[in-house]
Amino acid sequence: MTPLVWLCKRETLRVSKLWTQTVLAPVVSSMLFILVFGLSLGGRIKQVGHVDYDVFIVPGLITMAMAQAAYANNASTIFQARFDRYVNDVLSAPMRPWQMTLGYTVGGLVRALAIGLSLLVLGLVLVHVPVRHPFELAVAMALGLTLFASLGLVVGIYAEVWDHTTFIQNIVILPLTFVGGVFYSVHVLPSPWEELSHFNPIFYLVNAVRYGFLGESDVSIWLSLGVIAVLAVPVYAWSQWLFSTGRRLKD
Amino acid sequence: MYRDHPALKLSGLTKRYGDGTLALEDFDLEIPAGAFFGLLGPNGAGKTTLISAVCNLLRITDGEIAVFGQPHDSLEARSWVGLAEQDINLDRFLTVRETLTYHGGYWGMRDPEERADELIEAFGLTHKRDTRAPRLSGGQRRRLLLARALMHRPRLVIFDEPTAGVDFELRQELWRYLRGLHEAGTTILLTTHYLEEAEELCDEIALIRDGRLIARDNAEGLRSHFGVERLQDVYVKAMAS
Repeated sequence: MTPLVWLCKRETLRVSKLWTQTVLAPVVSSMLFILVFGLSLGGRIKQVGHVDYDVFIVPGLITMAMAQAAYANNASTIFQARFDRYVNDVLSAPMRPWQMTLGYTVGGLVRALAIGLSLLVLGLVLVHVPVRHPFELAVAMALGLTLFASLGLVVGIYAEVWDHTTFIQNIVILPLTFVGGVFYSVHVLPSPWEELSHFNPIFYLVNAVRYGFLGESDVSIWLSLGVIAVLAVPVYAWSQWLFSTGRRLKD
Repeated sequence: MYRDHPALKLSGLTKRYGDGTLALEDFDLEIPAGAFFGLLGPNGAGKTTLISAVCNLLRITDGEIAVFGQPHDSLEARSWVGLAEQDINLDRFLTVRETLTYHGGYWGMRDPEERADELIEAFGLTHKRDTRAPRLSGGQRRRLLLARALMHRPRLVIFDEPTAGVDFELRQELWRYLRGLHEAGTTILLTTHYLEEAEELCDEIALIRDGRLIARDNAEGLRSHFGVERLQDVYVKAMAS
């Protein structure tokens, strides 16, 4: 187990050494979202369901920040390691492929959790966001972060240039997050947009996390958790397959 | 006893890259335990491919590789091999000391700090121990790369052109270190473009061209076989034949 622990430590060290970029920046931008959207629009949109608007958006913003951080961290760490070829130090080590996969995944999880906990504290202080179902919240977070951390690894391994990793983030993840119900309940959308939202996987993650915090969701919590799990397991397996076979990592 | 087996045994090793390039073809090689073995050949001969195959850095097309009798991809064999690659591939986020301790950790060392400090001193990096790799000079990076390869006390160390681009003084210093390592019983596989380096250090030399073994002997044997007086002439003849 020692090699796995050291790889986890290395990935965590990278996050902590770059904490202003990896943790502080996303926390500040999410806080600005809470202030700008929540406190300004909150004056016009009083409640969504039974929840004040400034409280309603907090779970979605936390989800958005954490998912993006888990993805971006792992895409960049593995791409950089490949590009500078210091990944060879890990690939040639007496380490099993599952240890490599897990070790590289952990960095994204740690970064996302650091952001999530910071935003939770801010959410408690600024808008008194409740945590009504901590177990469901923990499961949703675990599955969601596994999905995005693994996706980051997969993209970082396939990417040939840096732009490939940012393309997925800016053209796929970010738009899907914005239309995934972070700032609104999909029930307010006209047809067919409400129905189409159900094809967006991030919609289920946002709603699962929102259920964990507020006890309210646009869909069943079990459906949400099921959809996230159905996506997270194969993407993690994909990243594991890449390390097991050496495809794209070894010539 | 691990010394009962050859340090490295390649049997029918073949590597064809995705673009169709055949880098190694049915390559056989056996390096005895404790040898200081040189691998010479022009760029593109297959030296780095061979090394990468041994160190599990590429997927081989065919053949077998054994390190002290164990399959090269087993955890045991991996733990016995140290590699200093031709290109400087140091983790840009780690300091000198972290580079060594993390490497030791990846290789399962329980308390790598003491060994890291020992190597930092041996390679004259004491005043740079808390400096990150990108801030080191070229020579310091090269030293760190070699120290990293030795961190986990490997039985077989592979140096891929370790003195490429280093100044005369550092080259002499590295030669002294490599000799000491060899005298301590470590098997060394060295690739180099400097023929005098191979002659000075290696007790056996293999010449490789287009992924095939052309000749193998000690420097004297090679000169005698090719009927020339200098190793440079052996190289020229072997590569032209």
